[in-house]
Amino acid sequence: MPGLEALITEVGRSLAAAYPPAIRHPARTFDQRLMQVVADRPDVQAALFRFVDATPACRTPEELTDHLTALLDEVEDPPALLRAPGALGRSAVGERLVGSVAAAGVKHLAQRFIVGESPHAALSHLERLWRAGAGSSLDLLGEATVTQDEADAYAARCADAIATLTGAVPAWPARPVLEHDFAGPVPRANVSVKISALTPLIRPSAPELGARDASRRLVALLRQARDAGAHLHIDMESVDTLETTLLLVLDMLADPEFRDGPSTGVVMQAYLRESSALIDRVLEWCRAHPRASPLTIRLVKGAYWDHEVAEARQRGWTPPVFTEKAESDRNFEALTRRLIDARPQVRLAIASHNLRSVAHAVAYNRLAGGGNSDIEIQVLQGLGDDLQDSLAAHRIRTRVYCPVGDLVMGMAYLVRRLLENTASSSFLSAHGRGVPIEELLAAP
Amino acid sequence: MSGFVNEPLLELRRHAPRAALIDALRALDASPPLRVPVLIGASEGSHDGIESTDPGTPDRLVARAGVASASDVASAVEVAARKQPTWARRAAQERADALRRAAQALRTDRYALAALQVRECGKPWAEADADVCEAIDHIEYAAAQALALAAGRPLLQLPGERNTMRYRPRGVVAAIGPWNFPLAIPAGLVATALATGNAVILKPAEQAPASGLRLVQALRAGGVPADVVQLLPGYGETGAALVAHPGIHTIAFTGSETVGLAIIRAAADTHDDQRHVKRVVAEMGGKNAIIVDADADLDQVVPDVLRSAFAFAGQKCSAAARVLAHEAVAGVLADRLAGAVAAMRVGQADDFATDVPPVIDRESQERVLSAITAGAAEGRICAQQPDVPAAGWFCPPTIVTDLPPGSPLTREEVFGPLLTLEAVASVDDALDLVDASRYALTGGVFTRNPRVIDRVVERSPVGNLYINRSITGAIVARQPFGGNRRSGVGAKVGGPDYILQFVEPQVVSENTMRHGLVVE
Repeated sequence: MPGLEALITEVGRSLAAAYPPAIRHPARTFDQRLMQVVADRPDVQAALFRFVDATPACRTPEELTDHLTALLDEVEDPPALLRAPGALGRSAVGERLVGSVAAAGVKHLAQRFIVGESPHAALSHLERLWRAGAGSSLDLLGEATVTQDEADAYAARCADAIATLTGAVPAWPARPVLEHDFAGPVPRANVSVKISALTPLIRPSAPELGARDASRRLVALLRQARDAGAHLHIDMESVDTLETTLLLVLDMLADPEFRDGPSTGVVMQAYLRESSALIDRVLEWCRAHPRASPLTIRLVKGAYWDHEVAEARQRGWTPPVFTEKAESDRNFEALTRRLIDARPQVRLAIASHNLRSVAHAVAYNRLAGGGNSDIEIQVLQGLGDDLQDSLAAHRIRTRVYCPVGDLVMGMAYLVRRLLENTASSSFLSAHGRGVPIEELLAAP
Repeated sequence: MSGFVNEPLLELRRHAPRAALIDALRALDASPPLRVPVLIGASEGSHDGIESTDPGTPDRLVARAGVASASDVASAVEVAARKQPTWARRAAQERADALRRAAQALRTDRYALAALQVRECGKPWAEADADVCEAIDHIEYAAAQALALAAGRPLLQLPGERNTMRYRPRGVVAAIGPWNFPLAIPAGLVATALATGNAVILKPAEQAPASGLRLVQALRAGGVPADVVQLLPGYGETGAALVAHPGIHTIAFTGSETVGLAIIRAAADTHDDQRHVKRVVAEMGGKNAIIVDADADLDQVVPDVLRSAFAFAGQKCSAAARVLAHEAVAGVLADRLAGAVAAMRVGQADDFATDVPPVIDRESQERVLSAITAGAAEGRICAQQPDVPAAGWFCPPTIVTDLPPGSPLTREEVFGPLLTLEAVASVDDALDLVDASRYALTGGVFTRNPRVIDRVVERSPVGNLYINRSITGAIVARQPFGGNRRSGVGAKVGGPDYILQFVEPQVVSENTMRHGLVVE
């Protein structure tokens, strides 16, 4: 489209200029520095991440220290910052001290990404976001679901989240950009759910089984969301759950019972080689099943890249994901344009922290005649805060994905976020290193 | 390993390969029962005597197989002994090429071969497909290993002498296979023997003769002479006659400890006119334990323990039979396992949604059910899925706990979907229990502490130790497989040492000095 690249540059520069100065988040800047130290040392990164992963399973400071020193022992020539715990941890007093400090450190990190232990505890944070010009989607972190009781418990937590949010949001002040778009009203209350947590019967080679079992719990949540006026978003996970998730959602939403609500949506992962075909399938479904509130498609790059590649290599498969990051980035832009062009059949949410990807979506939306509220940009709590501030300042509709849960429940999520943040190829890492804006905004 | 690549598994999370497997199963069901004759040289003998049926639907006849008699055994050994030297004289490359063509034949037929295992052994699709891949791997790996071995080994050379070390085949190999890996394990035994120039007589398990036939057919189609690879279906008597025959040089066996020890005894009995001592390579039983430390990630432990214990109804020598959990997590683990077992699906092997298929035959079913009864009497059933199909050899997957110390259920192999759970005060206590076992096949530990991993690696006697993963599913060239103690004798199959079991080294040292002149 003529003028697209020029507009991307303009939008991108304008967004970057509105990033808050580092001084506003001193603690975060420290984290960022720590992350950069770690990014240069894969062995240190591995040790620290494995430590973070083990934290919730340690019952005493001594056990924490034991894990930390054992993991650091595997690092040759550790950076100065990490020599102290190793040495200190060998004395009895030091052992307790190191463990307590480490526990506090992990808790501090976790609190950056996890907004509260429960939906109720998260409310004040969500309201603060709303007042600052950003919506939210609440995500309930949990341990893996391996039993029917655990699936019931997760469904109950989702129900509680919907009830808590829909009870609280009417008191929030009006934010027109956040609650209205080309298709009509956009619910304030927004909850994301994972199908793999709604059933213990996810079997990649038998997708109907898990879909059937999860459906009885999902149907109750859909009814509740419809009646309470909340948006219920179905998350996407690894390829092993993809077919189960799509089967379930498309099948369930085809039921006339849900034609008039709730507002709901699915996720498409641009790193998947098959993503274009999946979008064909979803758009075709949308044509055949008109909804009062169009399906929202959250477009993401995908968070399971390492898992998908390692699993495929171990089994002798072609990885289902693009192995070059630029391929994912290009595909993300192509799919963005397709989904913007597919309006009004779908709503589009762009979930990325990559300034180029976001600027591209904003620019294309503008050229396609869309307003600032006709496209949504989604960021992750703790990772996209700067971008979120800048988008809010530009009055572009923004939503922050807010995980809720305790430390044990959140650890898998936290480790994934940390990996994402320190991957040397990640946008955030490049931005943190001070890569010039021209390079950050260059076409992938 | 230059050039060796594992055969890719089918990507069963996709619809297309699932549909192809179902088509292959329909084709198998539409054809009459397979005929598995005694194959001695180019001639086909009887194919009556054994009825191989579907464990999930016992009135479905899958194959009829012959029963090789003592005189069949004698004829086969005679044919093999006559042709083996010719096969041994062929270039290693030529033998490797024949094996690779055989592997290709299996690859072309992989859907049908998997379908056959689903019917003949009640082996679920993913496991059946993995078995076919492993068979292909064993054949190609053996070919590559034999080529490398043909170059001999480097020795120290000094002026005036030339030293060489090379390996020659031992002669005629009796390969006695199990039913649980009906294609893969016989393929490993047979292909390694053939690649090094031995002749092989395969006695497949009476429960899975058709898969044995398919292997022999593929090898012959690939170019292995009929006299060099023969098939003697039959019961234990056929195997015993083969083992006792003085013309057999090597016995490669995978199966129960009882049979394995009987083979070792019989093989030690050397005839007066026998010019060699028999060698036995035997892979036998196990009582495999998974240790769960207090810091383990139970999200990972639960599915991996269930897969290790109940996939293919626990009928793998590598399967988990015991969980030794740290007392700090034993209670939570027991609860989560109980809920997860209750969610498992016991059903037909041809259903992609099945978690636990039937066991192989009525005798197995009775053994497992009586072990469960004993467990309920001695201890407490803490997890069970009682919902099982009525017809077929199904057993409810069960976890038993609170057993008295030293209970037979924690010591003896059950070979079915029965797992015991014991709480321990520490990982070291768990290692003491593991060390007290006479078996040492596989084992596992779940922990996030590298020091604990080091200690378990140091103290565990098992042949294959798995850390933070399920303890079954060894892959050729990645996890060479085999047990220590009474779990087995011989080197690990699928690894670099295995091939040496099938050869005799010969060292030649030549004096190259003549009248003071050193000829290089």
